[in-house]
Amino acid sequence: MVTDRTAPVETATLAAEVEGLLEPAEADGVFRDTRECGGALLLAALLLISPPTPRPKTDVR
Amino acid sequence: MIADAATGVALALRGEGDPYALSGILRQEDALTPAAVRVLGADALAPYAVEHRAVAVGADDEAVVRQALAAYPPGADASAVSAWTYRGLVEAAHAFLPGGAPPWPPPPEAGTGWVESDPWPKLAHRASQLAALALPPLAPGLAEQLAGRTDDLARGFVRAVRRRDWLQAAGLGRWLARLPEAPQTLGLDSGLAFVRQMGGTDPRVALHVAAARRFHGRGW
Repeated sequence: MVTDRTAPVETATLAAEVEGLLEPAEADGVFRDTRECGGALLLAALLLISPPTPRPKTDVR
Repeated sequence: MIADAATGVALALRGEGDPYALSGILRQEDALTPAAVRVLGADALAPYAVEHRAVAVGADDEAVVRQALAAYPPGADASAVSAWTYRGLVEAAHAFLPGGAPPWPPPPEAGTGWVESDPWPKLAHRASQLAALALPPLAPGLAEQLAGRTDDLARGFVRAVRRRDWLQAAGLGRWLARLPEAPQTLGLDSGLAFVRQMGGTDPRVALHVAAARRFHGRGW
């Protein structure tokens, strides 16, 4: 989309936008919860080391 | 537009790209240029603080700054950040575009009560918004007051990195690079390198990290 940057701009609107850009609210943090990560790792480990599901023997003599 | 300008400043501070001219990256006839200069604040003139500039400052650069100062003065009820960023741009004009005619306006008063009274997370957030003022030799009084809360800014830096708020971390890292007694245990150099690695795609993050490197020799 082409924007005409020479077009007249709403001064008041732009002034408010400038103030907002100068002092934005603090961004929400992105955390990685160690306990959650540890829990997921433990679950994966348990799945890996768990014995195989017992199945009926199929070889017929 | 602000991102493009910030990229131009960061490139100039790293000594890359074409010789920097403010009026070259933000054209005077562009209706949004004053707003972009006001938001960038003193950083719009940061490359002019670098010694041995390749290009002399032109009248167009002055005109662009005057436009921004005239169009977006802080109001009577302006926040401390708005007042300080405006003051920073005025101080930068005095320092890096001297001899302007008519003379630049005197730097307006801006309060510093918040430096003493803000709890450390809020102080860190606010200081990061004023990172352009970490440009030497601007705002010596503010830098002196912030030096009294160096440990709180260091806490804020760590908090910002933990929150993955790279812009705040870069701004605080830049201040800590200017302050004389940043804690050795903080690992500021590797911290700034990490912030650049993780958040360097944001041009303003890249700008702060480049400024810390260029003017204070901090970060890798």
